[in-house]
This record gives sequence, C-alpha cells and structure tokens, in this order.
Amino acid sequence: MSGIETQPLQAATGRAVKLVDCDVHAQATEPMLTQYMSAGARRRLERYGHRSPRITDWYPRARNAGMRVDAWPDKPGHIWGSDPETTRAQLLDEFGIDYALLEVLSGADCYDDADLAAAWNQAINDWQLDKWLEFDDRFRSAICVPHEYPDLCVAEIGRRASDPRFMAVMMPASAMEPLGSRKYWPVYEAATAHGRPVVFHTGGYMDHRGAGYPSFYLEYHVANGINMQAQLTSMVCGGMFDAMPNLRVVLTECGLAWAAALCWSLNAGWELMREDLPRVKRRPSEYVRDHVWFTTQPIEEPAEPRHLLHTIEQAQLADRLLFATDYPHWDFDSPTQALPRAMPKQMREAIQCDNALALYGLPRERAIPEVK
Amino acid sequence: MQSIDCDVHVAPESFDALFPYLSDYWRQYITEAGVRLNGVSFAYPPGAPTTASPTARELAGPPVPATYNQLKENVLDPTEPCAVVLNCLTGFETHRNPYYAAAVAGAINDWLREEFLARDDCLRASLVVSTLSGDDAVAEIERMGGESGFVQVLLPVRSDVPWGNKRNHGIFEAAREHSLHVGLHAWGRAGRAPTPSGFTSTYLEDYVANQPIAQAQVLSFVSEGVFNRFPELKVVLMECGFAWLPPLLWRFDKDWRGVWREVPWVKQPPSEYVSEHFRFTTAPAHLPQDPSALGQLLEMMDAGALLAYASDYPHEHGDGLPALLDQLDEHTRRAVMAGNAAAVYGIST
Amino acid sequence: MRHVVCPVGELPAGERRIVNIGKRSIGVFHVGDRFYAVRNRCPHQGGPLCVGHILGNAVADVPGAAAVSNNPLRIACPWHGWEYDLATGQSFLGPSDPGVKSYAVALEPGGALVAEVGEQQVKLVPGPYTAETFEVKVEDDYVVLEV
Repeated sequence: MSGIETQPLQAATGRAVKLVDCDVHAQATEPMLTQYMSAGARRRLERYGHRSPRITDWYPRARNAGMRVDAWPDKPGHIWGSDPETTRAQLLDEFGIDYALLEVLSGADCYDDADLAAAWNQAINDWQLDKWLEFDDRFRSAICVPHEYPDLCVAEIGRRASDPRFMAVMMPASAMEPLGSRKYWPVYEAATAHGRPVVFHTGGYMDHRGAGYPSFYLEYHVANGINMQAQLTSMVCGGMFDAMPNLRVVLTECGLAWAAALCWSLNAGWELMREDLPRVKRRPSEYVRDHVWFTTQPIEEPAEPRHLLHTIEQAQLADRLLFATDYPHWDFDSPTQALPRAMPKQMREAIQCDNALALYGLPRERAIPEVK
Repeated sequence: MQSIDCDVHVAPESFDALFPYLSDYWRQYITEAGVRLNGVSFAYPPGAPTTASPTARELAGPPVPATYNQLKENVLDPTEPCAVVLNCLTGFETHRNPYYAAAVAGAINDWLREEFLARDDCLRASLVVSTLSGDDAVAEIERMGGESGFVQVLLPVRSDVPWGNKRNHGIFEAAREHSLHVGLHAWGRAGRAPTPSGFTSTYLEDYVANQPIAQAQVLSFVSEGVFNRFPELKVVLMECGFAWLPPLLWRFDKDWRGVWREVPWVKQPPSEYVSEHFRFTTAPAHLPQDPSALGQLLEMMDAGALLAYASDYPHEHGDGLPALLDQLDEHTRRAVMAGNAAAVYGIST
Repeated sequence: MRHVVCPVGELPAGERRIVNIGKRSIGVFHVGDRFYAVRNRCPHQGGPLCVGHILGNAVADVPGAAAVSNNPLRIACPWHGWEYDLATGQSFLGPSDPGVKSYAVALEPGGALVAEVGEQQVKLVPGPYTAETFEVKVEDDYVVLEV
C-alpha cells in the first residue's frame, strides 16, 4: 500500500533502510493536545478531567518513574517523549533508525464519553501530524481511535487514511470487552480496508479480573505479557481472523516468548472442541501464523539465549518479529544490544528491518531527510 | 511404574450426600432456595469433550466418582496408584453468602473424610475452605487440618484478589501450623470475568484462561513474599498446565531485576522461589507435536523437579503426556510419576 | 595512568562528572566524603550508567518491613535500573553476574602534583565535549583518577 513515491535519487542522497523501530512513544502533555480541540471540549477537560485514572497513579512505575532518566528533554513545558527534536537526536540519529512508528498512549487508558473520546483522539492524531510527521520524514504514526466507539473509530481512520504516514491503527491491549469481540470488528474492517495493520499496544484498563488486582507494579508489568495471551486467545476463538482474511495484527510491547506455549494450548483445546467452533475453522496456530506479528520489546532474556531462539522457531516467528525500542520507557531495548548475539545474522536483519518493510509497505530506500 | 496421582476428582452428586453434615438451618435454606449442585458446570459443561473422557462417560454412574466404590472401581483398581490426592471442587460453585460457603466447605470435608479417607490408606485429599472469609478458612483448617489424609488447602486459581495478597496470609499461617501445603486448582467461582478485558464468549477461551490466571497467581505468591514468611510452603498448581512456565520466569526475573526495590523482601530472582516452592501437575499436557520442540521445552524447564503426575480423572485434555514421559530418563520419570509428590506430601512409596 | 579530573572545588559532594579518557567514558562521583568512579557503560545493553540514580540499599526480611540504608551505595542504570556497587562495580546480584569496571579515584594535593610533573601546565582530563588545560595550584586539592 505504499503511497510514498520514491524520488529519483542522486547516488549520494539515498540509503538502504537497515533499521525500523516499531514502537516509539511520543507523549503529549495536555496543553499540547487541547490546542487542537474545540473550546467546549477543552473546558470539559479543564473542569472534569478524564474519567479514568492515570495508569501511573494506579501502579507507579517503581524504577525511574517509568522512563529512561536520560530522556528528559529539559525544555520548558516538555516531558519525556514530547519533543521531536530530542527523540530524533537520542533515538533516530543515535542509532541510525530509518523509520520509527509512533504509538501515542494518551488515549488508550481512557473511558470518556463518545464525543470527548473522539475529540481527544482526533487531537492526538492532529498533534502527531503537525509536530512529528511534518518534522522528520522518518516518523510514522499509528492512528489513535476512541476504541469503545467503533463507528467513531471508523470515522477517524477515514480521516487519516489518505496520508500513508499514518501506517497503522492502534488499539489498547485491554478494553471494556475482549479484543476479539464483534464490537470492535468495524475498527479492524476499516483498518484492513485501508491496508493498515492493527497494532494492539500493552495497556488499557487492565482490569485483572481473573485473579484480581495485583499489589505491585512488578506483577502488573510482568502481567503485560500474560494479558496479551488472553487477548490473542479471544482473537482466535472469536473468529475475527476467519471473518477478515486480510487482517494483520501486531501485538506490541508484550514480549514474544510465550506465543509457542499458547499456540500448543489453543491447538490442543481446539482439537477436542473444533466441532462446535464454527468460526475457528483452522488450527489456531495457523491463524497466528497468518495474521499475527509481534514487536520484540521487552525482549525476554533467558540465561541461555538459545532458548529464546527456540521459542521463536517453535512459534514460527522469524518473519513475524518487528524490532522495537519502546523509547523513552525505562525498559527500552537498545537496537545494538537487545537482540541476542546468538541470533543468526539473517534473522537479525529480518527482525530489524525486512519484516517491518514487508508488513508496512515501506520503501527499501529512503532519501536522507532534510533537517527542518 | 509406581505412581502418585495428584489430582483425581470426586464430588457429591447432590446435596443428599452433604445433608448429614449440614445443620437443620442450612438444610432448610438449601431446600427453600432451591440451591442445586451442578458439578461446577460452567467449568465442566456436562457435554463438553474436556469434561469427561469417553471411558468415564460410559460408566453407569456419574463421570466424577461420588462414592468410594465408584472411585475404587473406576480409578483405583484399573490404575493401581500407590496414592491419590482427591480434589472436590464443589466448593467452587458456592454463591457469595459467606456463611453458606463456610458451612458447605465444612460439610465437604466431613464427607471426604467419611466417604474416602477413612476407607483407604492410599487416599489423600485437599482440604476445602471458604474463599469468602479468611477467618472462616482458618477456622476450617484448624478444625480439620489435623485429620490424617488432608495434605493441602484447596484454593481456586480464580480469585477476587490474588492469593499472595497479605489479606490471605492467615490461611498460609494456619496451613503451616497443620503441615499443609496449598493446592491451587483451575477454575473457581463463576460470574467473574476471567480476562483483563471482560467475559469470554466461547468455552475454549474460558478453558485456556486458567493458564494466564495461574501465571498471575505465581507472580502474586512470589511478589507478596509468601515464601519469605512461610518458607516450608509448597504450592501445587493443578490442571493449569506448565508449558507456559519458562517464558514467564524469564520475564519475571528480568523485570524483578529492574524493580526489586518495590519488593525488597524478594531477595533472589523469582525463578528460584518458583523452583523451590511450586509444583505443577502434568495436566493439561499441552505440548508441541514435534519431538524436537518438546525436547527444547524440557531443556528450558526442570521437568524432573517441577512436575507431578496427575490423571485429572475424569477430565480430558488430549494425550500429550506420554510423549513427554518418553523423553525423560528413568530416574526423571520416576520423580514425575511419584517421587516429587511423595516428597511434597510426605507419602512413602 | 593518572588523570587529573578537576580541582576539588568543582566537584562538590552530591555531584558527578563524566569524563572521556581515550575511548572510555567514565563517571566520577563525589558522595559524602568519598569519591567513586565507574565506567559509563552498563554491561546489560550499553546504557549511560553514570547518568543514573545513586541509591543506598533497601532491605526487608519480611514483606512490608522495608528499610533503606546508605550502604552499599549503588548506581542504577538510567535504562533498565540494573544496579552496580559504586565502590567495586559489582552487580547487585553478586560476583557471578557481569559487573562494571570501577576505578581508583582520590584527592591529591596540588603540591604533590606539581612536584611530580613540574610547574608545567597539567592537562585536564577532557569532558565530553571540550578539552581544557589549567594551571595546577599548590594550595588546592585535585580529584585524580587512575585508569
């Protein structure tokens, strides 16, 4: 779906793409966003705020307030991840990143009413376009949507679809219903119709209803991986992959090593129950193979690095993994260090670049960006 | 080969079996309110293939043995285990009246003792407690914990609050005083959404949901310092699977390394607490079909130390276990089939 | 090789300075009345270790009864928070886990330095961006790093 025209390049100004970062957090302060909202919406926010608590108040991030200490922009009015200049210097330039997919989490934890949610998410996307996409050609964006209101999501996706720099649609990893629920299918259909993968990013309300609320951020953080297992289960069992054969999803910031064991379980259960699962016509692992990608961060680090490679092989993920740093969060993965040395070069290159180019239809060469 | 079967299900077919152990008040309440035992049917729908193996369904009696004779005929005689741990999940279907829950728990334990433990030395059982009141759970442990045959306190893997939470520590204290461990079994009370995003809509989702929930409970026991306070305690995870364990521990260790200051009583990497204090029954054995992938899994986890055999009779999860046992050497197989359970429960083989 | 980092007055207690010596970036710290120096590169993923927070220990024998102490001092990587003993560079997990290189650093009086190198100008160890030289004064003390 690449809508990007590659300009005829002079030999000196083109370069082969080597590194794509599929999860970078641009973080906006409220004033940065409300400037894109109507006076009425702004006033509502000023008077009443959001209905949902800040996730960092629920589970304070016990290390470095959840951010890389060295990522503070030290500019008035700015916070970690809010300044494109800092992000460009510390991330894109520092590590030679060719494309970075921005995933703004400001809307993901919210459960406001439809109008406010729609206005808030529209403002996020306006801010991304205005401050980031226009700032540096290497940035790309995920379209933020008011996820509990699928019709409004479809409208927002429609608004952004003609700009190829919005290259994905983002949903949180937990919501009012399991993410495989038919409620959210219109969002996935719209994304797919416009050729965009749907990124499910760790976060959301995370109501921990199976075992109850944990006490500690440590549990909450490890549970990011566990929660995505439940969501992938919902996606497979709810039949959305059968209903939308071209749907591609990216499970983001949830780890990857758990995928194989989950597939074994889903397969075993499906073998016994398949007669009564009309919407799960194929073996579950086949759906995962065809429809599901994973970002690498936070990469699991077993004492024996080979074991990580085994889980990748077992779940057939070599061409499904997308490198991500998660800049500027505290558990950032370094592009030069995070992938284990034991990983074969071809796999490393696929994960750092080729898989993302294929998934997102990004050009293999890019012009050296103008510094604005 | 000798076996200790760590999870065989028994259940009264109706309240008739429990009435002898309930007061007049509760008998009247149960009758007037039309409360029925339905076999924890949201967890084990009667017609679901996972609820009972074809063999169990062919029997004259209920698939889940309701009497000692049924147990003997259908499980003990055919398989000749040297010991069996009986799990009665009837308490999982108690509604939220805490007094009712406590009464039924007591009745179940009385029934287990009279119907099973008193009749056969090879039988052990999990002690049923109310999940609605720590005080009532403690009282029941104190009442029955000394009875020979009870080896662990039965808790459902699904909970309102993770089991490691400090409000539950009184239960572990009482368990310790009576040399009981904890058995955490799949499922729990119906009516709570089992995922972080709400209710599941197919049985397959609900069935698989026990595994992420079990993982969250593992996190809780370790993070909350349960094993610091109760170093002798073992937690046996039953019918929750085990192949998910290695990736969970990689993540848990790595995250602890970054945020250990939030839980400074967790002084070692979490995986060390898990190796020491958790055991996992071999059901469901949801494993890769490819033997070399299975071999890789066995490299990642110390099956010989962590797994304890369970038939999970009469439940049906597929037949992954033989392939796993095939890959183990004799010594390790013995540990899985009996040795680990013998060590945890103090059973001589 | 000994390198003069700065006059002690330029590194008061509670502050740190990151210096480059050849290809190595090293963090020099003044905490309380002691000086510490460790390599500015986390063994984990190469993060700028010396930009991180300095913390004493936190201990708890039972859940909930936690206390902090000043000993040992550790530096926590600004990325994943992995911690290293500031004095020895040892990982908080113990000697079998990769640690970070630590260096000897101490105060030396100007008189001794002048006696050693004569009254010529002493090259100040360059900071991250600039190289400076200065005149060593006999009456001042200097932070000296051994690499």
